[in-house]
Amino acid sequence: MRRALILVVLLAAACDKGPPTSASSNAAAAATAPAAPAASAPAAPKGETFGAGVKLTSSTPIDTILAEPKKFAGQTVRVEGMVTDVCPKRGCWFEMAGEKPGQKLRFKVTDGEMTFPAEAKGRKAVAEGVVAVKELSLEESKEYAKYQAEEYKLPYDPAKVTEPMSIVRIDGTGAVFVN
Amino acid sequence: MKYNWRRWFRAFHRDIGYAAVALILAYGLSGLAVNHIDDWNPNYTYSSENVNVGPLTGTIPEMAATVVSKLKIDPKAVRGHYQETATELRVFLDDGQEAKVDITNGKGTLKTVSKRVVFFEVNSLHLNNLKGVWTYVADVFAVAMIVLAITGMTMMKGDRGLMGRGKYFVLGGLAIPIIGIFYIYS
Repeated sequence: MRRALILVVLLAAACDKGPPTSASSNAAAAATAPAAPAASAPAAPKGETFGAGVKLTSSTPIDTILAEPKKFAGQTVRVEGMVTDVCPKRGCWFEMAGEKPGQKLRFKVTDGEMTFPAEAKGRKAVAEGVVAVKELSLEESKEYAKYQAEEYKLPYDPAKVTEPMSIVRIDGTGAVFVN
Repeated sequence: MKYNWRRWFRAFHRDIGYAAVALILAYGLSGLAVNHIDDWNPNYTYSSENVNVGPLTGTIPEMAATVVSKLKIDPKAVRGHYQETATELRVFLDDGQEAKVDITNGKGTLKTVSKRVVFFEVNSLHLNNLKGVWTYVADVFAVAMIVLAITGMTMMKGDRGLMGRGKYFVLGGLAIPIIGIFYIYS
């Protein structure tokens, strides 16, 4: 039985919109109500606003989404967390930390739609978008791992990618970097 | 009396050209910069220095505090910390600086990010990262470029005009995007 490895970071074989995901292709039909218990959060975050900003009033914990990504696929959610990484060249994505060590969720936009500053690492982000889940084949997983390794300037060993990955990300509509 | 429209075109071309020269240079410079984005980062430079704070113990916040203390970083500059893996601790500082250390041995790096002077600014304008009002400024500039192209092409007459050798230059210039489009769809 195929065991999916949930990767919190997401792809973008180049820094474009990235490979289509089941949710992103159905974004227009996406539901708007988070199905998980909402965490407490300020209704209208103040700070540097990108895109359409944040309209939902309650946040879904990143851990909750990552625990059951398929349940959230296609839904519009608001999430928040500390920015851990930003797309170094085009600023077209950033990653937010979850509660547990190593947990991260990528917030991705089409190149040029929003541009996130590289200096944002460590700032708190409140973001809104559609949860997208992409099941990769083993071959795609190796390609993705290779791309990730190049992006983070890490060694890449295809032999270490032995299982297909499942990638979870937020296809973003807006975000606020809180002051 | 014959209406001298070429005279007006020359005047338009000259004066719009003067007004547009700054943005033409800015966009041209940015165009060169972002064309080669696969080879370099047109917006930021990154530097990294090796550090060694010694093996870390305690809770994650305690370890982060130790890193800050050992590296003599102003605690006010600390934005947060994050445990990337079982052994890797990242401490985020102001201005995108980051200390990344191996908990077991304290070895790691202190990374700094800096904007590329001039390039960051012209890229922001060229790629319309500002959005809002700049979108309309860029629209006006785009119209100005169209006016410059039309007036530039037609303001001369005779052998050096469009009907003279100019047509060959125009056709040559037209061939470039057409060849590109054929390449895209072939």
